[in-house]
Amino acid sequence: MSAERWKDDEALLESLRKGAPGAVEELLRLYQGKIFNLAMSILKSESDAEEATQDVFMTVIRKVDTFQGNSAFYSWIYRICVNTCLMRLRGKRRSETVSIEEFMPVFTDEGMHASPMDDWSKEVERDALNEELGRMIRKFTEELSEKYRVVFVLSDVEGLSNEETARILGLTVPAIKSRLHRARLYLREQLSRYLQEGSAE
Amino acid sequence: MNCKELAYMLADYCNGSMDLRLREELDGHLSRCEPCTVFTKTFRATCEETRKLRESIEYAIPAEVRERLDVFVRAAALKYPEKMREYRDQIERDLREMVTDLVGAAVAGNLSSATALHVESHCAACPECSGYFEALRKTGTPQAGDIPEDIRSHLIALMQALPPGEEFFLA
Repeated sequence: MSAERWKDDEALLESLRKGAPGAVEELLRLYQGKIFNLAMSILKSESDAEEATQDVFMTVIRKVDTFQGNSAFYSWIYRICVNTCLMRLRGKRRSETVSIEEFMPVFTDEGMHASPMDDWSKEVERDALNEELGRMIRKFTEELSEKYRVVFVLSDVEGLSNEETARILGLTVPAIKSRLHRARLYLREQLSRYLQEGSAE
Repeated sequence: MNCKELAYMLADYCNGSMDLRLREELDGHLSRCEPCTVFTKTFRATCEETRKLRESIEYAIPAEVRERLDVFVRAAALKYPEKMREYRDQIERDLREMVTDLVGAAVAGNLSSATALHVESHCAACPECSGYFEALRKTGTPQAGDIPEDIRSHLIALMQALPPGEEFFLA
């Protein structure tokens, strides 16, 4: 995380605690986009994400006095957001998710690749993000169960380090690495199948 | 190293955090194995596309959602300190009243057994409170405002130490 962000957070925390005028506005300005998006990627519904975001900010304002400061302010807010969203999911019927196992690479008993490989990496190596591919990545990510989705979103979409993600989710770093790797393997396989289908047409 | 092991070590390999010896072993395998080479290339491309996606994401929040959030959170944030103060004042008043009742019940011998035990063990350690209760037995129950502040604060702490929902007095 950049040093600038740190300074912003320090000042924000200070003014929130003092109840300084404009502190809540600053909190909203810095975080409502991030929190809403994180909530969206976990809850996948705009109205749920909006309610969750409200709850997150209320909790932040209410608990800012008890924030210990032994983690960074933003990771504390993310943690509140993840917990709030997971609580919401708990009450609901699970939305459709795919089984990640079906997309893990398959090996023979000797540990060799069991299926032929198609190299599509050259096709997507252009500088800019292929818009359609971006859309597919988002779609495939949304189909992951939340166990993987949350880790994937925090690490690969929010760009947080494994240590930060571990702290936010209350998991160990090896657990984060393993989930993240599986999510990427899954995504590689999904993209392979998708691109293969496209070229077969 | 076989293909399976390689597939599960790719993360460290791709982000450059793998130690040199292992990396050489992986490179060796890759130079001999076509499927793994393709697997690694497409894995890298997947990570790369995800990175590009991350950079292209704007934190889009629909304007009307942003507006509703602003209004709601700001209004609630304004009300919150006021509400907290009211709430704390109320608790404070309740506790002061309860201390008066507690002292009355103690003198009359009407404390619940758990509370009586707590009061007893507190008095054993606190000369001020035991002296106060001793004196009360002669003079009778005091008026609400007559309890000295330090005794009052001891008894408030004592009541707060009891489990929530505890009945202080016998019915």
